[in-house]
Amino acid sequence: MSSYYNFKKIQVIPGSEDLLNIILSKIQRKTPTVIHPGYKISRIREFYMRKIKFAQDCFDEKLDHITGEFPKLDEIHPFYADLMNVLYDRDHYKLALGQISKAKHLIDSVAKDYTRLVKFGDSLYRCKQLKVAALGRMATIIKRQKDSLTYLEQVRQHLARLPSIDPNTRTLLVCGYPNVGKSSFMNKLTRADVDVQPYAFTTKSLFVGHMDYKYLRWQLIDTPGILDHPLEDRNTIEMQSVTALAHLRACVLFFIDLSEECGFSIDAQLNLYNTIKPLFAGKPTVMVVNKIDKKRMEDLDAPTRERIEAMLARDGVTLAQQSCYTDEGVIAVRDTACDLLIAARADMKLRSHRVQDVLNKLHVAQPQARDDVARPAFVPEAALERQRAAKEMVRDPDTGELVPLKRSMTLARDVEAEHGGAGVYNVNLKDRYLLANDDWKQDIIPELMDGKNIADFIDPDIAERLAALEEEEERLIAEGFYDDNTPDLTPAELETRARAKIIRDKKALARAAHSSLATMPRMELHGRLDPRPERITRRLNTLPILARRLAAKGKDLPATAQLMRSVSQGGWRAAAEDPAYARKPSEVMKMRRLEGDQKNRQLMGLAPGKAQYNQAIKEVRFTQRGPNLMAKRGESDRHIMTKMPKHLFSGKRTIGKTDRR
Amino acid sequence: MRLEKCFFCSSNVYPGHGMMFVRNDSKIFRFCRSKCHRNFKLKRNPRKVRWTKAFRRTAGKDMTIDSTLEFEKRRNIPVRYDRDLMATTLKAMKRIKEIKARRESVFYRQRMAHKHAQEKAENQKLVDDMVDLADIPAEEIQQAMRLPEVSGGQRQNAMETA
Ligand SMILES: Nc1nc2c(ncn2[C@@H]2O[C@H](COP(=O)(O)OP(=O)(O)OP(=O)(O)O)[C@@H](O)[C@H]2O)c(=O)[nH]1
Ligand SMILES: [Mg+2]
Repeated sequence: MSSYYNFKKIQVIPGSEDLLNIILSKIQRKTPTVIHPGYKISRIREFYMRKIKFAQDCFDEKLDHITGEFPKLDEIHPFYADLMNVLYDRDHYKLALGQISKAKHLIDSVAKDYTRLVKFGDSLYRCKQLKVAALGRMATIIKRQKDSLTYLEQVRQHLARLPSIDPNTRTLLVCGYPNVGKSSFMNKLTRADVDVQPYAFTTKSLFVGHMDYKYLRWQLIDTPGILDHPLEDRNTIEMQSVTALAHLRACVLFFIDLSEECGFSIDAQLNLYNTIKPLFAGKPTVMVVNKIDKKRMEDLDAPTRERIEAMLARDGVTLAQQSCYTDEGVIAVRDTACDLLIAARADMKLRSHRVQDVLNKLHVAQPQARDDVARPAFVPEAALERQRAAKEMVRDPDTGELVPLKRSMTLARDVEAEHGGAGVYNVNLKDRYLLANDDWKQDIIPELMDGKNIADFIDPDIAERLAALEEEEERLIAEGFYDDNTPDLTPAELETRARAKIIRDKKALARAAHSSLATMPRMELHGRLDPRPERITRRLNTLPILARRLAAKGKDLPATAQLMRSVSQGGWRAAAEDPAYARKPSEVMKMRRLEGDQKNRQLMGLAPGKAQYNQAIKEVRFTQRGPNLMAKRGESDRHIMTKMPKHLFSGKRTIGKTDRR
Repeated sequence: MRLEKCFFCSSNVYPGHGMMFVRNDSKIFRFCRSKCHRNFKLKRNPRKVRWTKAFRRTAGKDMTIDSTLEFEKRRNIPVRYDRDLMATTLKAMKRIKEIKARRESVFYRQRMAHKHAQEKAENQKLVDDMVDLADIPAEEIQQAMRLPEVSGGQRQNAMETA
């Protein structure tokens, strides 16, 4: 609602010169600009007619906008209408707007005339002259509106700065003689920050402030001071107050200053009250005596006081006293005023016909009495006691003096003080635990056990579940689930196992002895051509060497020979049992060599013996030397590597690396 | 305070140990040590890494189905402390642990059952192949091992001489 009376949105009104410039440049921008005498005459006419019509449209739009945006005095709230009359002079305002709309009509008729003329233009030159003339006349019309436009711009600026008063909301209106402390009161209650000075007419216009009371939003209006003289003599400043008083249905707070510190006598102030009394008719009114720090109603001499009281009684006006200096009574004044207004508004609503509609809808449901038993509200004795204790003082039965009642219960604060105060005392939160048994409160609750979270096992019915598990366990035992039925080893098997263990140990020993040897160059050590994995080589070699070593010592171990054969021929037992395997060793060797040579592709096609092979190796090495130097994989490797690897040639070099970055 | 499980190897993460990674979808991963963290960063799947509990479970190396395993559960409904309940729980935990250990040993025994025959065969083979090795004194083995290894040809010679 309040935004409805917000005049801040009116757009800036350009001066007449500016308006012309805006429109002419717009015509230049938005209509075609190229025309030639050689064009068809209809096209030329069309071209200039368009310019004239466009100019008319632009002016129309601008002027319409101006007249449309300013509030119409007949349509707005009478308070604003009157206020605008007081501030800007109704006649002047209406005239200016009228002139603007008149100018619009004139421009329309000019445009109409000249388009008609252009229709008969017989050359480009003539058409152009007609267009120039048309625009020229329009410009003249606008230039004549210079004063109206400047006036309207001023009005706009002033309007924008008017307080946005909502005429229909709950309002407290502060009025009275100048310098009586109206603005001070306003500043006390709201955040309006009105200027306060110790001289008259500090406030020169209306001010609005807002406050909350009873969860409602209230509007406070500070008015300029009014002097006591006839209406005709009032100046603009006073007239604003009068307007507000006349039109706003508010609670009026009439301020008087009994101390006469304001520079006006009590009589003058009371006279003013009587003069403007008609304006208060039908509104709740409070007479506020301000500056009671200086002089109160009670300090007045009896005749004056009686006079005032008689006056108040006659008009049904409430009296309130306050001081903006000591803050005494300020809130009381606000409360009385607001309550009066609420009452008045409610009363008015009740009297209006609309209230019946609402009342028809209302229904207060009452529960029906079940029986005759009285069920009054029950307040426990302890609660009443506590309430009584809360009222700090109580009369001591012995001395009869007023003493503070001892607190009926100890507070956490008291406990803290008892145990060394803040920073020393630690609140024991365990005391507040809600457990089945209070003895358990201080228990240290175990969290972990045997690498498990105890919380993961906590289960209200763990006992039953454990019992079920035990039952299952018994069943399993009965079923022989736990019985170890692995077959026992026979003495022979045990013997084998023991021997196998000894052999394994010996093997491990041999392996350890071998790996502790100082490493020799591979070629020397092995002397082998076929690259069989070293692990196998070692296993094959271990025992023959052993055999040789032992044979050299003259020990006779027939098993060794058999063993060797088994190693090289795939199982001595097979050889012993199968006559096919019972060949002479030399024969076997021949077969083996052939087999091996076929498998080893390096030896394929070479004569038996080392000589040719060695030669071949030598030559291979020689041919591979070049590619090896170039780190080629072989003859077929033609890959060209990156010649300038980015990572080696980019980035800044600081101290340090030039080759690796 | 509670013991968390390592995301990778499922071992216990004790308070103040290991590290925690909170992914931007707020899922929490805890690791018991840098090894697990590193493996996680390598995007390894714990089920495929042989040393993790997850692997052992999926590969059937650990007992996964048993009534003793039903007792330990993360519970999201808090239960008020009760001294009696706590006592029974502690007792129950000990007992459950015992039973579980027994069942695990049975599980292991069953898992290894088929090994016995194999083991016997291996022992037999070893004894058959290398009987003499058992009788050679340790010093001699060590001495022999210090001789250079023999080449193929030398080996043949050795055989022929034998
Ligand atoms: N002693 C005293 N002085 C006050 C009190 N209230 C206001 N004044 C003084 O009175 C003077 C005028 O106060 P304003 O609030 O400007 O009075 P006003 O009614 O708004 O005056 P105009 O705006 O000129 O009409 C200032 O110097 C205030 O300090 C009060 O309660 N006690
Ligand atoms: Mg003032």
